[in-house]
Amino acid sequence: MRHLLRRLGFFLLTLWAALTLNFLIPRFMPGSPVTALHDRTRGKVSAAALEQMLTSFGFRPHQNIGSQYLQYLGNMVTGHWGLSIGQTLGEPVTTLIGQALPWTLGLVGTATVLAFLLGTLIGVLAGWRRGGRLDTVLPPVFVVTSALPYFWVALLLILVFSVWTGGLLPSDFNYDNTIVPGFSPGFVGSVLQHAVLPGATLLITSIGGWILTMRNNMITVLAEDYVRMGRAKGLSNRRIMYDYAARNAILPNLSGFAMSLGFVISGAILVEYVFNYPGLGYLLYNAVQNVDYPLMQALFMLFTVAVLAAVLVCDLATLWLDPRARAKG
Amino acid sequence: MRRFRLLAAVLALGMATAACSATQHRTGSDSSSGTPSRTSGAGTPANGPHKKGGTVTIANEQGQTWTCQFNPFNPAAYLESNGFVYEPLIYVDSLNNQAETPMLATGYRWNADKTQIVFTVRDGVKWNDGQPFTAADVAFTFNLMKRVPATDLYALWSAAGLKSVTASGNQVTLAFKQTAETYFYAFADQVSIVPQHIFGSGEAAAHPDTWADPHPVGTGPFKVDPCSPNNIQYTANSGYWQAGKPYIQKVEYPAYLDNGPANLDLAAGKAQWGSQFIPGIKNFYLDKSPDNHTWSPPVLNVSLFPNLDPSHKATSNPAVRQAIAHAIDRSRVAAIGEGGQEPPGNQSGVVLPTFQKYYDAGAVSAAGYDKPDPAKAAQLLSGAGYSPAHPLKLSVITITGYTDWDASLAVIKQQLKPIGIDLTVQDLAQQTFDTRLYTGDFDLAYYGEPTGGPTPYYELREILASANTAPLGKQANGNYERYRNPAVDALFQQYATADDAGQVAIVKQIEAAVIKDVPVIPVTESVDWFQYNTADIAGWPTPEDPYAQPAAFNFPDAGQVLLHLYSKAAQ
Repeated sequence: MRHLLRRLGFFLLTLWAALTLNFLIPRFMPGSPVTALHDRTRGKVSAAALEQMLTSFGFRPHQNIGSQYLQYLGNMVTGHWGLSIGQTLGEPVTTLIGQALPWTLGLVGTATVLAFLLGTLIGVLAGWRRGGRLDTVLPPVFVVTSALPYFWVALLLILVFSVWTGGLLPSDFNYDNTIVPGFSPGFVGSVLQHAVLPGATLLITSIGGWILTMRNNMITVLAEDYVRMGRAKGLSNRRIMYDYAARNAILPNLSGFAMSLGFVISGAILVEYVFNYPGLGYLLYNAVQNVDYPLMQALFMLFTVAVLAAVLVCDLATLWLDPRARAKG
Repeated sequence: MRRFRLLAAVLALGMATAACSATQHRTGSDSSSGTPSRTSGAGTPANGPHKKGGTVTIANEQGQTWTCQFNPFNPAAYLESNGFVYEPLIYVDSLNNQAETPMLATGYRWNADKTQIVFTVRDGVKWNDGQPFTAADVAFTFNLMKRVPATDLYALWSAAGLKSVTASGNQVTLAFKQTAETYFYAFADQVSIVPQHIFGSGEAAAHPDTWADPHPVGTGPFKVDPCSPNNIQYTANSGYWQAGKPYIQKVEYPAYLDNGPANLDLAAGKAQWGSQFIPGIKNFYLDKSPDNHTWSPPVLNVSLFPNLDPSHKATSNPAVRQAIAHAIDRSRVAAIGEGGQEPPGNQSGVVLPTFQKYYDAGAVSAAGYDKPDPAKAAQLLSGAGYSPAHPLKLSVITITGYTDWDASLAVIKQQLKPIGIDLTVQDLAQQTFDTRLYTGDFDLAYYGEPTGGPTPYYELREILASANTAPLGKQANGNYERYRNPAVDALFQQYATADDAGQVAIVKQIEAAVIKDVPVIPVTESVDWFQYNTADIAGWPTPEDPYAQPAAFNFPDAGQVLLHLYSKAAQ
């Protein structure tokens, strides 16, 4: 119980620190929402008029920074995240995030889960037959691909599967604009089709880590006495591989998986940017470009909370799964 | 058993698929089922009445999905409502010597010293919800800007000196403290009239500046129906006051986050109205179909802004600036840097051919600026104490990602080297660039004013009037080079009260100052990017008939274009 409380206390402290940084860092950036809007509206409207307009939307540059900070903390906690003052001037931040969140969860979430499942499976098989054909080919290949930068893989995939094939797979946006959204086969198909390339990019660049750790854990566990015991008892290979070895080897990977689920929400900014995928990562990029303080703040807070919550859940899961951690706490 | 379960699952899935609705496409089916005969299209006169029908798709990259807000006072949203749904009093054509088209006003009358204007409001116009449009709506719109200053985007009640706006009968009177002729473009063309019965009650009245206005009620040719983050669909307003118009029945405005896909859709003919830069336009777009055309009229200058503050020794020396202006071969910069898609500029600051009648060709050639003259440039520079042996080191700031400007500056750098100027190009992120430009933290800045007006006066005033400048370290408002010339300021004052011929004469006098003092060095002209497809849609603006600024992001010009377009298949 004391362990749990300490964890919760740490969670709150980190959250506060992160929120404070979220407030300060954007304000140290060069530029202001007024000049950003001035550029975007082609200078048609004078800066003074724009500032007045932004003020109506909740932009208060001349207010005391201390009271701005307190107000900000209060608003973050109560969910009054305000109105966008950037490219989507006047749109409630919650609406913007609500529109983008499903796309990121769908794309990055699915890709993360798939990468974990596939990577673990390949790791198990490779570790089981150490030095086998699978083990000599797949892990090295995927370790190399996971070292490649996201955006480079993305561009390569676009070149090969979209440009060279004359647009076989779409390289842009979340679904075909000409389709009216709805639960129809065409729409669902279009969404899936548009997710193939960005999803593949994420998969290719993240699967290597899972394979490598799972394979190494597997090899360590296979050297344990209880595995030898299982063999001596005459259990089937299948049973030893999955129920004895893999089941124990997956434990450290599970906590890593919980962490990576926390990072899902921050999207993969570069991947979303390259594919013009309107998720949270793209939203954040636009918010920074246009000095959109309210949107930036809400997004950064969501990302922090998601990662911190994932870490907390991961801690709790370890406590529950591993009696040794409980004893020490 | 297992196989049966699988079969059942497949069956269930199949049934689920059948149960969900069929895929709906926005366009295509109705236009292809239209009458295939296209014969009558050629025979109809260009401006004559046309039959209704057809769909236009706009490809104009915005870098965002739509917010579905249409408030005409919100500068982040008004591009999608002004011209389409909301209309001005008088349309002024910037490309055609300020030719005026009466819209919601049938006419107007200035008093002698142009401090008061009376508009006669059009009868028989209805808002798209069926309510009648009256002079009271016009007065309401202007008085709303007084009540809520955030909606007064063009500073009518402050800078322009608007005193009162009153309606009586079908007349609306705007009274100003001073002569307001130069604000005519703002209040007659740029301000859209909004309905009193919507903006006068409820949330719209309480916060007209921030109200979302999701279902805009306007007098314009189109209605929003429906809007989603990925696409705005406009459908024709069947009760539009211009009988028989609009011919086009549907406008699709998909959201594009990037130029690339927008340009691909244009090249494939999926979108017919393009409004952004297409690199290598000939191969990528024009050669794809004989129906693909482009006409991007120049409207503004892209210039080198030298820092005229005395603390910048080299650039505040007129001889150095003149040397640079003589050394640059503008046609080469336009040909190489802009790939020939933007025309070269000239030292008078008047954009050609758009504003030809204001251009003083004699003055430009008399000063020797009609062609590059490296010899004269080298001579001027050696007079200032620099030579290729003792080069002048200057840096120029520009914006990261503006690759055409980077290419142009590379050419300029090459051209300045032989006369003894060693130019360093500094690419800055947009926000950093803005800060340094506004506060005067540069030797040279490569920049173009983004907005002008129907005559060269508007851009020149922005760049040259001392009211728009500020000391170094403070934010200037257009006059970033810090030019102060009382004679030029006086000319801007006189322009407001002059008649048409007088205005041309005044602009020519301002040109003379630009040629003599070289406060800015125009290099190329920036254009309204415009590509159009004529497979089905006709009636586009052309150099022969420049009835409106053609890019879809120009308002209220986009509304004028939509009123001219028609589908050939529907005729």
